[in-house]
Amino acid sequence: MAEENVTFHLPDLGEGLVEATVLDWEAAVGDDVARNDPLVEVETTKSAVVIPSPHEGRVVELHAAPDEVVRVGAPLVTFAVAAPDRPAAGIVGTVPEEEKRPRRRVRLTPPGE
Amino acid sequence: MTELIEHTTGTATGPTVELSMQQALNRALRTLLAEDGDTLVLGEDVGALGGVFRVTDGLQKEFGADRVFDTPLAESAIMGMSVGLAMNGWRPVPELQFDGFAYPAVDQIVNQVARMNYRTRGAVPMPITLRLPSFGGIQAPEHHGESLEALFAHTPGLKVAVPSDPGEAYRLLLQSVRCDDPVVFMEPKARYWDRRPVELSEPADPIGTSRVVRPGRHGTLIAWGAMVHRCLQVAELAAEDGVDLEVLDLRWLTPLDTDGLAASVRRTKRAVVVHEAPLTAGLGAEVATRVTDACFGDLAAPVQRVTGFDVPYPAGPLEPQYLPSVDRVLLAVQRTLEY
Repeated sequence: MAEENVTFHLPDLGEGLVEATVLDWEAAVGDDVARNDPLVEVETTKSAVVIPSPHEGRVVELHAAPDEVVRVGAPLVTFAVAAPDRPAAGIVGTVPEEEKRPRRRVRLTPPGE
Repeated sequence: MTELIEHTTGTATGPTVELSMQQALNRALRTLLAEDGDTLVLGEDVGALGGVFRVTDGLQKEFGADRVFDTPLAESAIMGMSVGLAMNGWRPVPELQFDGFAYPAVDQIVNQVARMNYRTRGAVPMPITLRLPSFGGIQAPEHHGESLEALFAHTPGLKVAVPSDPGEAYRLLLQSVRCDDPVVFMEPKARYWDRRPVELSEPADPIGTSRVVRPGRHGTLIAWGAMVHRCLQVAELAAEDGVDLEVLDLRWLTPLDTDGLAASVRRTKRAVVVHEAPLTAGLGAEVATRVTDACFGDLAAPVQRVTGFDVPYPAGPLEPQYLPSVDRVLLAVQRTLEY
């Protein structure tokens, strides 16, 4: 399956926080992670929190080393994730899936000829 | 995008390439922009972005920002601008991103576009083709799916075309844009990604003709747009039961092909109209009346209608419950067989 890179940016972990310090990475480059696996522990001015992985995929790049300060909105980690097989619909909607043989319940009686 | 073979004009049969409906429409627009310097493409995000459904992809780059251009997010203004351009000799091909957003433009469409030819006794034609991504089937949010064909078909002065596959989309769009009358060109969103071999040929059938997609003996399923595909599925299932159904793609809703409908139903003696729009005052009623008028003595059963329900067109998650299912169409066929 084709892969595409997705970069996760540091979110605002509190109310109006502007930055966080990386304490410890719980995943390394090359690791396969599942969605919600512990990813990185960061410390803000309020508390230390563990950010879970937002994606299932392989870690491609860590954008900050431990003790480094990351601004909210700055790249934190890049994943290689599986690209969807079906084409993307664009901005709105989904590409309809083609039923090879639609399910039916109604049977017909041919007309007498 | 797929590499396309160059289109050659003036031949009855053209080269065949595999294209999605999006790509076939894109190819038709390229042909039209290249052959007539007065043809313009305008709409929200049709330029740099290439359209919300990618149909105008690459056209601005190829033909320049004077001929393929973005407009403000204002549907009424897009149509009003098209009226002014048409009055001054241009051939505009506006796009409204979704049929649900066409309502603000209805004033311009009904009061200006459709009337100008009458008002000026033919001195100021409106060679406008409104490309309108239409109908449901892509699970879009509210206001992104509608079925407005009856509204436009009921407006004298407009032609209404609905392609059902990529080849039809290519030829019908060529025909619509070259026609000096205004055409509402309703593109079935659910079929945009449908890929199949397309013969890049010139349109051979006149405006206002239907086509038989599948011949059959025991009844005619009449549809347009994505419902043609649904009817083909039904015909396959019916064949398993020994019932041989014809599928007729109406493709032009105005002018309506009464002769084509009558020719089919006279042979099959049964007719079922299928559309996405609500039942009441839908185009199915018009079709049923014409068929009944033309074939009263031949009909084995009253013409049946299988449609959306008389509720607002639902948002995505409820579409499967709203749209005519194979079972609902099969039940209607069974009613005509038992009558």
